Amino acid sequence: MAEIDRLTEKLVRGLASRTSRRSLFGLLGGFVAGAATLPLLPVAKGAEHTNPADPTSGKTPPLPSGNPQDPGDQRSCDYWRYCAVDGSLCTCYGGTVNSCPPGAEMSPITWIGTCRNPADERNYIISYNDCCGGVPWGRCNCQNNNGDRPVVRPQSSNEVTWCFGTQSQSYTCTVAIILGVAIDQGKK
Amino acid sequence: MGAPSAPAGVADPQRAWQNWTLNCQGCHRIDGSGDAQTAPSLAGIVAQFLLVPGGREYLARVPGVATSPFSDADLAELLNWMLWRFDAADLPADFKPYTAEEMHALRAAPLRLEANAQRTALLETLKRQRSP
Repeated sequence: MAEIDRLTEKLVRGLASRTSRRSLFGLLGGFVAGAATLPLLPVAKGAEHTNPADPTSGKTPPLPSGNPQDPGDQRSCDYWRYCAVDGSLCTCYGGTVNSCPPGAEMSPITWIGTCRNPADERNYIISYNDCCGGVPWGRCNCQNNNGDRPVVRPQSSNEVTWCFGTQSQSYTCTVAIILGVAIDQGKK
Repeated sequence: MGAPSAPAGVADPQRAWQNWTLNCQGCHRIDGSGDAQTAPSLAGIVAQFLLVPGGREYLARVPGVATSPFSDADLAELLNWMLWRFDAADLPADFKPYTAEEMHALRAAPLRLEANAQRTALLETLKRQRSP
């Protein structure tokens, strides 16, 4: 047993003295150890808040709904429906709070949460469909996480890019469609 | 015999709809159409699993059901509602709604990677049952 130990030590020391940390061997070792794992889900949103490639980032006038029952600026992260938006707002891309901008396709796979409307103090169920395949995301970024869950429960995480079931998996922006009024059930 | 006009085993349809919307609809889609990559289709097919041996258990053990964040009672209600909402026409006349006790027992052994293979096998059995 001691013989095997001695031989192994000799081998490993020899290897260590001949390969640098930047070598391919080192890189592969990193993968094996899990230190350089690649994400299995497209978790891209929230990593940056501006896109340097898009010079109009954030520079847009306010957009009220015109309906006193739906108050606030639909281009602002504080708008009540955006309580769980993690991404760019479609209202800053020529889309609306309910529809995708031209050239982007709405994903049928969505993250759904609830937000409180200050006009009537009721909770509404909001569907955050991603719009995919248009210009790159970056404008009017919001990172609100009401009801978000860590990516260990991926179906409940709003950080995943939900561009599944669309032609393109490249994310442009997110809408906030009201599906109905929520009844109070306490937290899950 | 026509499809039932109201779901059996559903104390609160509004609550069942909400639980479905917040936790299932996002992937199974608003019309229950689903797809092969994300979550399987329910519309026009999900109640048919009740017609083959092992199908009833399968529905309670699929990962999206068994590992969902609901109490056993809410989960039974949701499953009963979902069967009626997406495939009422295929519900057997003697359908016994799921109960909290039944959900408690079945969800203790969730299916994982084998769920898809089981779905395929059950559908094969259904096909053979229909055209012997």
